[in-house]
Amino acid sequence: MSATAETLPIAPAEPWRRRLLRSLLYGRNSNRAAKARARIGLAIIAFAVVYGIIAVRLVMFAAVSDGRIAHRVVSGDAIATARPDILDRNGEVLATDVRVPSLYAEPRRLIDVDEAVELLTADLPDLDATELRERLSSRRGFVWLKRDITSEQQREIYHQGLPGIGFLNENKRDYPNGAEVSHLLGRVDIDNQGTAGVEKWLDNQGLAALHLAGLATDRLQTPVQLAVDLRVQHALRDELVKARDKFHAIAAAGLVLNVRTGEIVAMVSEPDYDPNIPHNPRDPGLINRLTTGVYEMGSTFKAFTVAMALDSGKVTLKSSFDAHNPLHYGKFDIHDFEPMQRSLTVPEIFTYSSNIGAARIAMAMGVDAHKAFLKKMGQLDRLRTELPESAEPIVPKRWGELNTITIAFGHGLSVAPLQAVMGVGALMNGGILIPPTFLKRSEAEAQALGHRVIKPETSAMMRYLMRLNVEKGTASKADVAGYYIGGKTGTADKVVFGRYSKTRVLTDFMAVLPADQPRYVLLIMLDEPKALPETHGFTTSGWNAVPTGGAVVARIAPLLGIEPRLDLPPADQQILASLKESR
Amino acid sequence: MIFRVINFVVIGALVLAAAYVYRIKFDSTVQAEHLAKLRGEVRRERDRIAALRAEWGELDNPARIEILAKRFLQLKPIAPTQFDSLDRLPERPPDDARAANDDPIGGMIGNLDPPETGTIPAAQAAPAAPAAAPPEAPSGAPNPPSGAPNPPSGAPNLPSGAPNQ
Repeated sequence: MSATAETLPIAPAEPWRRRLLRSLLYGRNSNRAAKARARIGLAIIAFAVVYGIIAVRLVMFAAVSDGRIAHRVVSGDAIATARPDILDRNGEVLATDVRVPSLYAEPRRLIDVDEAVELLTADLPDLDATELRERLSSRRGFVWLKRDITSEQQREIYHQGLPGIGFLNENKRDYPNGAEVSHLLGRVDIDNQGTAGVEKWLDNQGLAALHLAGLATDRLQTPVQLAVDLRVQHALRDELVKARDKFHAIAAAGLVLNVRTGEIVAMVSEPDYDPNIPHNPRDPGLINRLTTGVYEMGSTFKAFTVAMALDSGKVTLKSSFDAHNPLHYGKFDIHDFEPMQRSLTVPEIFTYSSNIGAARIAMAMGVDAHKAFLKKMGQLDRLRTELPESAEPIVPKRWGELNTITIAFGHGLSVAPLQAVMGVGALMNGGILIPPTFLKRSEAEAQALGHRVIKPETSAMMRYLMRLNVEKGTASKADVAGYYIGGKTGTADKVVFGRYSKTRVLTDFMAVLPADQPRYVLLIMLDEPKALPETHGFTTSGWNAVPTGGAVVARIAPLLGIEPRLDLPPADQQILASLKESR
Repeated sequence: MIFRVINFVVIGALVLAAAYVYRIKFDSTVQAEHLAKLRGEVRRERDRIAALRAEWGELDNPARIEILAKRFLQLKPIAPTQFDSLDRLPERPPDDARAANDDPIGGMIGNLDPPETGTIPAAQAAPAAPAAAPPEAPSGAPNPPSGAPNPPSGAPNLPSGAPNQ
C-alpha cells in the first residue's frame, strides 16, 4: 500500500482524539481520501447507467409511439377476416368484401337487461326476445347479438344510448351476380370462411392460416382472377333454365371448356342457389352435377371407343363392322335404337350411334387395350381441380368382356361429366390431354401441363366424325349456320332400384366448335327430360339436349369471339382433305 | 474564467438542443396522427369503392341488363349472317366524291361517266321514257345504235348499285 506512505505527512496534524475515532470507525490503516475518490467514481458510474437507461427508454418511446397511434384507429373495427376479391376473366366482380356493422353486447356492463331487450327488439323485430334476454343475462364479457345490420338500424340503436351495446364493422362477402356463378364460387359461412367451391380453395391456399393468425383484417390487395366469362356463364345458364322448364327435367347442367388451354369458361349446374342467402349446404338437390356427380354418359362414350380404334391404326374410317343382328353375350342382348340390319362403316356407326357397332369395335380392340385407353384418357381416376368437390368414377371391379362391350357405348362406367369433357377435349384439340382449370391460364402453360394421348391425325378424323354427325346424324338439330359445330349425342338409361329404367334417361350432348379449328367444347346435360308433343314422344338427346346446345352456341359463339363463316364445304372436304394434304 | 464561458455555452447549447428535439418530436407526433387519419380515410374510401363496385356488379349483371334490354330496346341477338369480314368491305370512294360535302352521293353519280350518259339521248334522239325504250328498239330498224338500248337499262342501275356494294 503506497497510499500509507503518502498520508504519513498529514497524520501528525490530526488531533489524537479524532485519530482514535477514525481508527475505531474505519480501522487503523485506512485512507479516507482514496476511498472517497473511489466512491465518487462508483456514484458517477451508477448515475451514468441510470441516465443511460432513461435516454434509451426515451428514444424507444419516441420511436414506438408512432406505430401505436396508427394501430389504435385500425383496431376499432375489422375483426372478421378479409378475403380477396374474385374477378371473372374480363375483370367483372364475382365476389367482394363489403363492410357491414354488427351489433354486440358486453353483458357485464349492461345496467337494465329488460329495458335493453325491449328497445332492441323494437328496432330489430326479427330478433328473438327470449334468446336475447338469455344472452344479455349471461355473465360473459362479449356476445354477438346480430351480425350484418343495416346502417339505419345502427343509427336508431346508437341513439338509444344503451350502455354495454356496441357496433363492430365486419367484412361480409357479397356476390353481386347472385345465383349465376354459384356452384363455381361456392360460398362462405358467417365468419367469412370458405365452405365450398373456389372460396374453399382460397382458404386452402393459405388464407385460413392468415385468418387464424389474425393478419387478414385489412382489405387484401391482389384479387383472384378466374377463367370463367360472366357473359358466357349467363347465356349458358339462361338457356339451361329454359330447357329445364321446357322439358320438365330434374336438373340441367352445362360446361364450356377451352380445348387449347383447359380453362373452364362457363359451368352451370341447375338447380343452383344464391350464395348471398345462407341455407342448408347439405341439400342433395343442389350438388354440382358436373364435378360431384358421376353419371353413365351414354353414347358420347362412343367417341372414346372409335378414337381408340382409329388411333391404334388397326381400324380406318373405311372399316366396317357387322350390325345385322342384336349382339348376344351370355344372357344379354345388345340392341340398336334404330336397327340398320346390315354392315356399318365406322362413320355410320358413329352417326347412327350404333351400340352393336361400338361394342364390336371395342371387342376387336380387346379388353386390356380398352381399359388402358380409358385410363390414358383420364376416365378411370378421380379428377382433381381447384374445386374441393370431386367424385371418384365408378369403375367395375372385375372388368370382363361384357364390361368392355357396355362401356363401349357408355354404360357400366360412371364418370364425372367434367372428366368426360376433358377427355373429349383431348380428342378434339389434336390429341393433348390438358387438366382443366378454373383459373386463367395461357396456352403455353397448358401445353407444358398437357401430354399427348392420341395422334393429331386421329384427332382430325374424330373432328370429321363429330361434324358429320351434325351434318347428317343424330345431332343435326344443333347445326347453327356459320359456326361449323360438331357434336355427339348421348342418351343413358338411368339406373332405378338397381335396374336400367326404360323411361328415365339422362341425355347429354358434347359439341365442338368450330369443328375444323377447335377452340371450345360444350357439354349440355339434362337429367330426366320428359317427352313433349313437339319431340314426338322421344326423350333421346337429339330432341332435347341437342336443340339446347344449338341455342347455347348461337348465343355464346359471338361472345367467345368465334367468327361466323358461312358457305363452308361439308366435313369430308373441310377436315379430311387437309388431313390428306398433310400426309 | 474560460471554464465558466464554456459552461454557459454548453448550457445554452443544451437548452437549444432540447427545444429542437421537442419541436421535432411534436412535429413527428402531428405527422403520425395525420398519417393515421389518412390511413383511416384510405381504408374507408376503399370500403366505399368496394361497396360501389359490388353495387355496380349488381347493376351490370347480365341477367338484369337482359331484362331491361328486352323491355326498353328494339335490339335483338346478332345472327351469324350479320357478321362480315373487313376484306369484303367495298373500296373507299374516290376523293373528289367525298369532297362534295353537300351531296356526296350526287357527286359520285356526277363523277361516274358523263360521256356515256350524254351519248344516249343523242343516239336515240327521242324523249321516250326508259321503260318505253326497250320495246321500241326491236321495232326500230336494226342499225348500229342497236347496242344503245342496253346502256339505258344498265345505266340507271350503275349509280344506284355502286354505292350499295
